[in-house]
Amino acid sequence: MADRQPSLAATAEARQRPPQLSAVEGLTPAKLSAESLSFYYGTFRALKDVSLEIPERRITALIGPSGCGKSTLLRIFNRMYDLVPGARVEGSVKLDGEEVTQMRDLLQLRRKVGMVFQRPTPFPMSIRDNVALALRLLGHGKAQVEETVERSLRDAGLWDEVKDRLNTPGTALSGGQQQRLCIARCLAVDPQVILMDEPCSALDPISTLAIEELMSRLAANYTIAIVTHNMQQAARVSNFTAFMLMNSEDRHGELIEFGPTSTIFNLPADKRTEDYITGRFG
Amino acid sequence: MEFETELASLRETLLRMGGQVESQIDAATRALRERDRGAADLVRRTDQQLNELFRQIREQCLMVIATQQPVARDLRTLMGIVYISTELERMGDYAVRIARITGTICGLPDKQLQPEFGLMADLTVIQVHDILDALIEMDEVRAREVAAKDDDIDRLYHRLFDTLVEEIGEGGGPEAALRGVTLMQAAHSLERIADRVTNVAEDIVFWESGQVVELG
Repeated sequence: MADRQPSLAATAEARQRPPQLSAVEGLTPAKLSAESLSFYYGTFRALKDVSLEIPERRITALIGPSGCGKSTLLRIFNRMYDLVPGARVEGSVKLDGEEVTQMRDLLQLRRKVGMVFQRPTPFPMSIRDNVALALRLLGHGKAQVEETVERSLRDAGLWDEVKDRLNTPGTALSGGQQQRLCIARCLAVDPQVILMDEPCSALDPISTLAIEELMSRLAANYTIAIVTHNMQQAARVSNFTAFMLMNSEDRHGELIEFGPTSTIFNLPADKRTEDYITGRFG
Repeated sequence: MEFETELASLRETLLRMGGQVESQIDAATRALRERDRGAADLVRRTDQQLNELFRQIREQCLMVIATQQPVARDLRTLMGIVYISTELERMGDYAVRIARITGTICGLPDKQLQPEFGLMADLTVIQVHDILDALIEMDEVRAREVAAKDDDIDRLYHRLFDTLVEEIGEGGGPEAALRGVTLMQAAHSLERIADRVTNVAEDIVFWESGQVVELG
């Protein structure tokens, strides 16, 4: 964590300023941003007035108790909510300054902003085809597909384990390997952002470690946002952490504090953050 | 044991250790001033209890960190307890050093100690007492006030050092030289105890606020 963190002086300086947007100003440019973002499922407001910036080529962890809206926030970033009847967004969500809520080409958006889910979701086809499917749909030639399959599997840290059995079913892999296959599938279409929704919660500690190491490597080239219930994982892998909480009165999710992970886990500014990370509630 | 209970137990052990260190320093300086070889021996023997408390604290802290993976204030509490217990253990070692010096002094002809020595010993014991009060209350402001008084002890130490150098320079044979050098070591031990008090003050500030400060 330390070698990818801003300097202590920068961290201290960031603490002096108000949280949210200004916490990462000047440290790294924002890849994704939300401003005064509220989200509704029908008449129920699931998120209220969330503003934060996800820094480019850094790992940002979203933490908070169940129901606080962190997975909802993650899904807004690539418009997964479009499939939910009655769902709507107020406020602004931007990818590289472009308004996500107004984008018409969702295929392009989801190519740029990939998603890895809690449970590995390999397609019922071979390891090769799992990675190649989207490339073929995009019209890539055979040689290019083969090259991308290998590169994606290598980048996902899976190549050496599967190179001799690319035609066997993806579902035959172990849980940790399946999750890395899903990451390879995501990498194949050359995304800029990878959203991960509790990617290790169904994995054993060894597979979890492999995914965490992979995330650290990928952060050199990709912007990563991860939802996790594992506080130690957030502390280990992320550069920035956002703490969210469900409002006790009208039950909407809200952002309580956002800043460098070292600050959130050492000297959080808000007592609610401290109570949560020290296990005193949630 | 529940986490909160673990922390409370560790804190209690730390305060017990603090109380013993204070008694040890008071007993050691008193033994030196009164040329009481028996009291000095008791200080040396009692140090084992301090070492045992220190060992218990370190083991318990390690166990809590390994099993509970604390963060933020909880982690600072544990680090604070480890830091402060280390300082207290070293203060105890200086008390033993003064007790050993007492053994040497008792073997030399009786001669009145320099007045600065008594003053320095009294001030050091007061500093230890006051920083332990700040620790009991977890009073950051008071800890800073105690640390600020370290300069008085430093001044006394330098004055005593000069006096002892002068006395050694005046001649008087090997016994006088041995007495001078030995008392210099005792004065140095007191000065180091006072420095450790300042370290404890810094640890209390860290524990309370998370700020790493230099108070010396």
